[in-house]
Amino acid sequence: MSETRDVIIVGGGHNGLVAAFYLAKAGFKPLVLERRAHVGGAAITEEFHPGFRCSTLAHNAGPLRADIVRDMQLEKHGLKFTTPDVNTVSLTPDGRALILYSDTKKAAQEIAQWSQKDAASYSDFGAALGKIGKVIGEALLLTPPNIDSPDRGDLWGMLKTGRSIRRLGKKDMYRVLRWGPMAAADLVAEFFDTEPLRATIAARGIFGTFLGPWSAGSALVLMLRAAGDPSPAGSVQFPAGGAGAITQAMAAAAKQVGAEIRTGAEIAEIRVKDGVATGVVLASGEEIAARAVVSNADPKRTLMRLVDPAHLTPDFVQKIKNYRCTGTVAKINLALSALPEFTALNAKGNGNLLRGRIQISPEIDYLERAFDESKYGNFSRSPYIEITIPSLSDPSLAPAGEHVMSVYMQYAPYKLKDGNWDSQREMLGEAVVKTISQYAPNFPQTILSGQIITPKDLEETYGLTGGHIFHGELALDQFFTMRPLLDWARYQTPVERLYLCGNGTHPGTGLTGGSGANAAREIAKTLRK
Amino acid sequence: MIKNGRASGVVLANGDEIYADVVSSSVDPRLTYTRMIEPGNLPDDFLEGVNRYKFRGSSGKVNMALDGLPNFKCMPGVGAHLRGAMSISPSVEYMEKAYDEAKYGHWSSHPYIDMVIPTLTDTSLAPPGKHILSCFVQYAPYKLAPGLDWDTEKEKFGDNVVNTIAEYAPNIKDIILHRQVVTPLDLEREWGLSEGNIFQGELSLEQLFFLRPVAGWAQFRSPIKNLYMCGSATHPGGGIMGAPGRLAALEILKDGGA
Repeated sequence: MSETRDVIIVGGGHNGLVAAFYLAKAGFKPLVLERRAHVGGAAITEEFHPGFRCSTLAHNAGPLRADIVRDMQLEKHGLKFTTPDVNTVSLTPDGRALILYSDTKKAAQEIAQWSQKDAASYSDFGAALGKIGKVIGEALLLTPPNIDSPDRGDLWGMLKTGRSIRRLGKKDMYRVLRWGPMAAADLVAEFFDTEPLRATIAARGIFGTFLGPWSAGSALVLMLRAAGDPSPAGSVQFPAGGAGAITQAMAAAAKQVGAEIRTGAEIAEIRVKDGVATGVVLASGEEIAARAVVSNADPKRTLMRLVDPAHLTPDFVQKIKNYRCTGTVAKINLALSALPEFTALNAKGNGNLLRGRIQISPEIDYLERAFDESKYGNFSRSPYIEITIPSLSDPSLAPAGEHVMSVYMQYAPYKLKDGNWDSQREMLGEAVVKTISQYAPNFPQTILSGQIITPKDLEETYGLTGGHIFHGELALDQFFTMRPLLDWARYQTPVERLYLCGNGTHPGTGLTGGSGANAAREIAKTLRK
Repeated sequence: MIKNGRASGVVLANGDEIYADVVSSSVDPRLTYTRMIEPGNLPDDFLEGVNRYKFRGSSGKVNMALDGLPNFKCMPGVGAHLRGAMSISPSVEYMEKAYDEAKYGHWSSHPYIDMVIPTLTDTSLAPPGKHILSCFVQYAPYKLAPGLDWDTEKEKFGDNVVNTIAEYAPNIKDIILHRQVVTPLDLEREWGLSEGNIFQGELSLEQLFFLRPVAGWAQFRSPIKNLYMCGSATHPGGGIMGAPGRLAALEILKDGGA
């Protein structure tokens, strides 16, 4: 057995790397152990067809928290974002397209073609999201307070958040309180009449969740995603080189401040002795002792598989079993010989409009019906789809003149009623191609090759339990002081010196780095004691 | 009747005027603020809140006069099981599917039904040997899909309830003497419940506690002096419990009764 390491980080996803960076900066010597051949977790770029590379899973940053980008000097480490002029093109079955430009004024002009009233509301909505999102953003920076016996820091944090909410003024304060538990469908209806606009914005409240636009709490998901990103439909940023470029830059930053990273190092077990984590055992049999273990894996994988549950109380095991963590998103990556020609965009010049996000979310009921199917264990035959064509912003991702298309498809429930994902994988791909070709008839002829990633693949290949892209459902009962569990929302676990730093901890809203940074702060504090 | 921003009494439909120091409304905010008060007496942001308040009634009622007792397949014969509540809610999925239909403006083809036979505990409600079956039925959305209306759907809705019960108690059709169907539209027209919501407004988190009925106006008072709210549309909300009435009375007394 080798020497005792300082801190081992299980998994080199973005949060693991962010945690490694901040822990190294705080004077610790973190060792990141990644199972796969390269770091990145769900933020990776891989070749899926000769000459075609694509963001395998996540295709859009959260966006990353600005202070993390700054602290890690990610731009210096090679990260470069392109923000397309067109944010979102939302297609409708009657052959129209609602175009949302990244620039709010330009977006309003376009919306005015659908409704003058909505054009005015669009900037109001953006402004309200900006104000409210800023306050929520402050709460996302906090370590959730200890409810039983809040310490001085907890009280100060709560006081500060409370004052920020009050400072919003009466109207926006009531909005924060009222909107949270609402259905996203109701929230957007308070601002807009245009159905595709309503649905396109409400889609932000359901993305990656087991919620439909009429589900209570979907408005909170929308608000959380708006914290730091008040663009109504959500911003679009393409890193040159795909999502993998984000985590490559993070890895470089972490290494520069002294973190060590080992790939191809699968962890078989987190060793626990007398209730204290003492290190890890690799699949190869190698044992590495450590002062502390930080897991970037999801809570279920960490506590039910990597740790022997015998070290946990039955009560805790029961609770972690009840942690809801079954995914709803499938990912399809396609190599294309040419750009699809969307009927609605032909007259307007197809190419430039395709640089942002292309959404199939024409109406609230369309999204809700897609959700309905998944409740009973079927994937949506008319799914909610979000497409990006990153090769338009970064031509190096595909051979000259050819393209890659990255597609999020929802809903693809982890648990199928009939059959399994191995037998339904191709049918899912067909349903997506069929849906898109209703809007772009030439689309099927342009497909050279495809990669279909189902929730089962997300679990087996990428280690996301239940195929949940957020390491656990984003729901009112699994947020903040309850993420992942009530009493265990402060990055600690019942096993001493075992910590969590992934998306299954607060704030856990996607590719922001927030969980990793918050966890590192808390872990450094405890380890110093 | 409002004078100088103060409630001074009420005018009845027959023209009678009754003056009072305090007016407390037990009806819902839509009726109170947009039907019983002249426009112009309320601030815009308050009215915005009232207009945003969601009703969306989702239940209907079917009352039947019976010539005997229903005979349930799962528990044949007469027994104590008929004296309590009987529920047709066989699975969570059954309930959810019933809800799905309502989301798109259709009444549930396989509804959730909550039934009681009050005549088994109070024989005075029906002639000897006869019974009453009271059925609470969900979902019956107030707003039906385009092309449908409750006056045409009413009896079809009632038939469907009987057919559903008949799957569990086949003799039901033979013992019905009379049937009364109450739709959400009837609840609105006959009983003054806007959009047929039996709780005077949805019991959703954003319409409860300090947000019921309107954020900033949850303490039973209104922007009009001496006008109070005391119905189910105030905290703690719907159900026959009397709590809103009591809490409102306490607030009125606190204000000195006038």
